[in-house]
Amino acid sequence: MSWRIRALKKSPWVFHVNTGACNNCDIEIVDLLTPRFDVERFGIKLVGSPRHADALLVTGAVTAQAAPRLREIYRQTPKPCVVFAIGACACDKGIFHSGYHIVGPVDKIIREIDPNAIIAYVPGCPPKPEAMISGVVKALSAL
Amino acid sequence: MTQALWSLFWIAVFPGFLFTFSLGLVASWVVRKVSALVQWRVGPPVLQPFYDVAKLLGKEILVPEDAQRSVFMAAPLIGMAGVLLLSTILWRTAIAEEAFVGDVIVVIYLMVLPSLAFILGSSASASPHAAIGASREMKLVMGYELPLVLALVVVIVKTGGQLNLAAIAQQTPVYSISGMLAFLVSLLCIQAKLGFVPFDIAESETEIASGVLMEYSGALLAVWKVMHAMMLVALPLFLVTVFLGGFGTTGWSLVWSIGKYVLILVLLILIKNTNPRMRIDQAMRFFWVYCGIVMVLAVVLTTIGSYYDINWL
Amino acid sequence: MNQQELNEKIVEVEDKLIAIEQRPGNRIFLLCEAESSYTINRFLFEDVQARFVIATGIDSDDCFEVLYHYSYDQTGCVITINTYIRDRDNPSIESIAPFLPAAEWIEREIHDLLGIDFPNHPDMRRLILSDDWPDDVYPLRKDAEKPTKRPDGDPVSRPIEQTQSPARRTIQLSKPIIAVGPLHPLQEEMEFFQLAVDGEIVTDIDMRISYNHRGIEKITESLQFDQVPFLVSRICGICSASHPLAYVRAVEEIAGITPPERALYVRTIINELERIHSHVLWFGLAGHFIGYDTVFMWAWKYREPVLDLLEEITGNRNNYGNVKVGGCREDIPNELKPRILKDMDEIERKMDMLIKAVLDDPILHARLKGVGILTKLDAIRYAVTGPTARASGLPIDVRRDDPYAAYADLNWNVITQPEGDVFAKAVVRLLETLESIKMIRQAVKRLPDGPIAVEVREIPPGEGCGRAEAPRGETFHYVRSDGSNRPVRHKIRAPSYVNVPSFKASCIGERIPDVTITLAAVDPCYSCTERLAVADENSKITHDYEALLQLSRDKTDRIREEIGSQHLKPEDS
Repeated sequence: MSWRIRALKKSPWVFHVNTGACNNCDIEIVDLLTPRFDVERFGIKLVGSPRHADALLVTGAVTAQAAPRLREIYRQTPKPCVVFAIGACACDKGIFHSGYHIVGPVDKIIREIDPNAIIAYVPGCPPKPEAMISGVVKALSAL
Repeated sequence: MTQALWSLFWIAVFPGFLFTFSLGLVASWVVRKVSALVQWRVGPPVLQPFYDVAKLLGKEILVPEDAQRSVFMAAPLIGMAGVLLLSTILWRTAIAEEAFVGDVIVVIYLMVLPSLAFILGSSASASPHAAIGASREMKLVMGYELPLVLALVVVIVKTGGQLNLAAIAQQTPVYSISGMLAFLVSLLCIQAKLGFVPFDIAESETEIASGVLMEYSGALLAVWKVMHAMMLVALPLFLVTVFLGGFGTTGWSLVWSIGKYVLILVLLILIKNTNPRMRIDQAMRFFWVYCGIVMVLAVVLTTIGSYYDINWL
Repeated sequence: MNQQELNEKIVEVEDKLIAIEQRPGNRIFLLCEAESSYTINRFLFEDVQARFVIATGIDSDDCFEVLYHYSYDQTGCVITINTYIRDRDNPSIESIAPFLPAAEWIEREIHDLLGIDFPNHPDMRRLILSDDWPDDVYPLRKDAEKPTKRPDGDPVSRPIEQTQSPARRTIQLSKPIIAVGPLHPLQEEMEFFQLAVDGEIVTDIDMRISYNHRGIEKITESLQFDQVPFLVSRICGICSASHPLAYVRAVEEIAGITPPERALYVRTIINELERIHSHVLWFGLAGHFIGYDTVFMWAWKYREPVLDLLEEITGNRNNYGNVKVGGCREDIPNELKPRILKDMDEIERKMDMLIKAVLDDPILHARLKGVGILTKLDAIRYAVTGPTARASGLPIDVRRDDPYAAYADLNWNVITQPEGDVFAKAVVRLLETLESIKMIRQAVKRLPDGPIAVEVREIPPGEGCGRAEAPRGETFHYVRSDGSNRPVRHKIRAPSYVNVPSFKASCIGERIPDVTITLAAVDPCYSCTERLAVADENSKITHDYEALLQLSRDKTDRIREEIGSQHLKPEDS
């Protein structure tokens, strides 16, 4: 396993992208920062710029208006990076799958620009913070 | 020849790059851990900053299209070089008690380099947010340089006008009124230089987007982080050397000196965790007006004190 | 006016109407042709002084209908003007936005989704469909594919430049601004604001929403009545108990069902727990905006026991799925009652501490008082609801005005404050939390035995207007049924839809550092204040989001210095 990946696993900086979610997943993501879950223990840090990120936490089923933004953000994230589709909407459009304004899900949009993107799925509506941490840890250890 | 080799060793290994780099990353861990504890959290493990740097070195470097490439890439290196030299000089003064006349002035110049590098780098980023960060950093630097220099003047007056660090390090100005004032003001200037709350106006840590460094990624960002960590070694050491009686390297003196360094680190963390952020014009007013006046007063006091030989002034 | 007087007053305009229909449950329907719409609307808003709730556009077989819903809060009556637009080829109805700013957005939305024209509308730009949506495809029309597919394939491979359609232009502000926020790591709801400034003062504000548009109203038309609560609880993460409750009330109104008493109490308990959760969350965020990060961590830490309790009862920390037509799905086991009471005591202790700290802190006073004032008159013109309205002195609260669940049986107060500034909004929310705790205690102690649902077989044809008091304000659902097992039309109005545009009134005239906290004070369904920037007339950005956030925090610090008091430190835990 290359040293890059090894270091990535020890210090995954994440950037949160909301592509039209109901905010349940987003609240749970922010909750990860707070004292009960405290993800800084694992080296996970929420950063303010996609250029500093190693992982994108994407929520929402990707509305038509949000799709171009998501693509831009992915392009701006330096590789190697992992895209986490958080929540049922991001994984496979969830309960909004028949909406006319939905162009997702996340993997479809990302694979348009990068067929080899690494995408991990954390289902749930919303996934509990423990599930998110577990998903991130599992994905990183599978790298 | 051997002299050249020795110099290379000092700069690259000890007390230069490798030493400062490692110590700096440990110091930055201390800052993060204590901040976490204050917020009822556990915080990161000890090696975390090392992992962070290693990871950043492995990521690709993205340069914005409109950025001024050469400056963009050179800026972090300039900053790091400045801090590296600063650290080497300060440690050499402590260890070998060598100094040269005027090295205080060199030190002042070197201390400005990291801030200049920030300004250069963010201006070259061609990003509106970075530009705002750059303009604020400029204003901040203009704010605190004056009180900092005045504080040094206080110290120099106390040595009877000597301009070399070894002589300065012999005395402990902080046992006098003017010296204590100068120390406190310098502490705040260092806080600003390090970009810690309440002066993290140009680039904020943790959750908020980092304005100045927004466009940096990969190895370049790693260099910035390393530079910052090294500043955590060099700047408190500067304070110890100039105000707290130098950094002794033998026996009890060493233990005592480590205590002094830790004390400064603790003060920096304390101030950081108990204050909200300042606005840029407020910060400038704070430095120019309040700190400036206090420092002028201190210079007057110390001049009187040294003329009439009153040590505690 | 009481209900009798209201009925008599309405008769005044009888000659302009096709019919007046009094329906059970305190609902009045006025049917009229499109031509009389303006007059009747004006009559209701100005003469009767009813509060505008929302408008619903419907594509019926032979005509278009636009329903204007009003609430007469003194008696809890919902008055709906049902207008008929007979011309299907060029449907148009006169805009009421000139005298009712609250209607601006909904008319733009109906135009986007149904293609109905509103002549005299001050600002007919695209509101909620994406920039690249083709101009004459109207998703909510019945002849659109069901469910509607994107008409010309996915635009995903088009580069960004091509997706900026002229239909959505930034407003012609005197000093135009570009709103390009940094993507904030805390919340990322993609909506954004554009501010026009003159020096330090905000002179105008505009907002783009469409990032979150998921087409829910169209989706519900393809779901069965009992599937809809699961969908609507995901409209918003924090009001996720209020939306299904409002919907279910609407359907129960159509079918004439009354859920059993135990169900009403269970619904009350869940909704009040949600209210506590939401207000504490908001408080943490507000603390973050003005620079007290310790308050943020602290408030969110004390939110956790509420979430644990909800998880224990309903199985999930958010998204409860606990209401259905006819009652509740999940019961509160009697063994859980002591635990709920104990948790309430604990939370009340923490809230008391917090409230004392806030109400007494001179820095917070100086920082938040007099900032972002929404006057009572503006509150009426923008038809705001919830704590936003109550903080401007409007004593409206659906739980008291149009009681549902068990609220009529419980002993509680509606909290209002007269000043209308950000401090008042904070006070209202904090005191409401205490009221919620009181209500939960009463409800738990009085929880009657019995079933938690009645069986429902058919939903007859009809119309229902259901509402609930969500933490942010009134949630309103209108449902029309034609006797089949799916809704013909389901209109959803979230409270933020009317509260957010009131920024126009409360932010204009404010200084830039105060903008973030003013925007946050309305508690938009999650911090839409993300995408926020200020630029000068050359469109060079002078302040981005974190700059604004910082200015906000700096001002706090400046005030703190001036006052010389201690930094807020909540005692611990």
